[in-house]
Amino acid sequence: MTRVVVADSLTKRFGEVLAVDALSFALDAGTITGFLGPNGAGKTTTLRMLLGLAAPTSGTALLFDRPYAQLERPALRIGAVLEATDFHPGRTGRDHLRMLGQAVGVPDARVDEVLRLVELADAGRRRVKGYSLGMRQRLGLAAALLGEPELLVLDEPANGLDPEGVRWLRDFLRSFASDDRTVLISSHVLAEVAQTVDQVLIISRGRLVVESSLEDLTSRVGGAVRVRSAQPEKLQAALTHEELKATASGDGVLVVHGATSERVGEIAFAAGIPVHELVTEGASLEEIFLELTAEGDS
Amino acid sequence: MIRQIKAELLKVRSTRTTIGLLLGMIALILLFTLLTGLLATASSFAGKENQRQFFSLSDLAGVFSALAGVMLVASEYRYGTMRPTILFTPHRSRVLVAKTAAGALAGLAFGVVGAAIGWALGYAILTSRGITIALSSGDVSQLVLGGLASVALWGAIGIGLGAVIRNQVGAVITLLAWGFVVNPLLFGLLPSVGRFMPSYAGDALVGLTTSHLLSAAVGGIVLVGWTALLAAAGLALTAQRDVA
Repeated sequence: MTRVVVADSLTKRFGEVLAVDALSFALDAGTITGFLGPNGAGKTTTLRMLLGLAAPTSGTALLFDRPYAQLERPALRIGAVLEATDFHPGRTGRDHLRMLGQAVGVPDARVDEVLRLVELADAGRRRVKGYSLGMRQRLGLAAALLGEPELLVLDEPANGLDPEGVRWLRDFLRSFASDDRTVLISSHVLAEVAQTVDQVLIISRGRLVVESSLEDLTSRVGGAVRVRSAQPEKLQAALTHEELKATASGDGVLVVHGATSERVGEIAFAAGIPVHELVTEGASLEEIFLELTAEGDS
Repeated sequence: MIRQIKAELLKVRSTRTTIGLLLGMIALILLFTLLTGLLATASSFAGKENQRQFFSLSDLAGVFSALAGVMLVASEYRYGTMRPTILFTPHRSRVLVAKTAAGALAGLAFGVVGAAIGWALGYAILTSRGITIALSSGDVSQLVLGGLASVALWGAIGIGLGAVIRNQVGAVITLLAWGFVVNPLLFGLLPSVGRFMPSYAGDALVGLTTSHLLSAAVGGIVLVGWTALLAAAGLALTAQRDVA
């Protein structure tokens, strides 16, 4: 598979503070990766180094096998949004896109096309100061899309979006990546991107703590299945027989660890035990996230 | 590079900053030309040097041209558009060279408007008061062309200053303090040094013969030197510093 982004021992030191500490990871083409960590973990600094805005103290970041600044017209391969507020308030959204596009030879027709794509066609000729935060987010995205990139890098794109905007963004990113294009999207809230991403990079205090697929992450910490039946003792025995750990929590309820609700249901059925209630009580992704980043703290 | 200059010129045109500076410039040139032209005694317009002084009032355009240059860089840092600008053109020197060119071109436009207004109004006032124009066509050419060159160079100087300081308020204050306080103070106290300041190099370029001024040719070279110095400093710092 093509490696679109390769970070190797990427390190950034601001005086005494080690903001990013020997970060290494790689992104394959066609994936959507969530770049997660609490505020101040070094996400934005990492993205700035990837994009050539900040120089690493040591280590390298390659996009399409070269440092960003050495790519010929990188805006035609990579689209990036670092801040939702990077606009002159007195300039129209359309002129903002035109001034960026002209620098790399993007015609005005493409400007109007991306404005339609992000549903800002009507607002394009208004000054940005009249835009809502959601509109600004979409204008930033429009700028990133001007050059029809193969890689999108978005820093906290869901910040300030209403639920409808979050859904719009999710659908957009899904369709973007379906065409073997790649997305790197940062967030400090795992739940915000959990429905969008295939894999996650979690950093804490500048260090990588997890690099895994979302499924592995969910099963790694593992949820619990809560099952209520008329014969909890018999069910417990059946589960134990299947080498599953089940704890009684009163009122006919058992809590089973390390199994899916399907498996627990099938075991109960096989044992002929009527089930009254069957609920997956997965540790929420947010709990997983907090736990992992807390691990990084110690 | 042409594409980048086009993009920078669009930045200049697409906010109200430039038109505001242009209107401010027009108002100030009108005001000074009217006040001086109508209130000064006829004898104060006698001779070439007095008339040169009067007609070089339109060089006030230089301040506004420099402010436009400062804003073309500093407002990009202020509003964060420097981030996408550099993402689209990671060769930062290319961005800055294009800005310098755009600043000089915008400055030239300011200069043309300023000169047109200053000369038309000034000439109308002097002739209506029956004052003979003592300037030869060579004097006029030097005043006009030298004035345009210095106003254009001020635009480029503003770019360099903005790139070095980055902070919009800081850069504007530095420019005004340098032009209106440091330059005249130095020229008054230490004319042998002060004459190398850009304001006075510009005066020399348009042919003013105030005592201590450099020759026109040296004045022009000094003004270009200031532009080059600030552009070089701006380029070096922009290449080296992280974009926050």
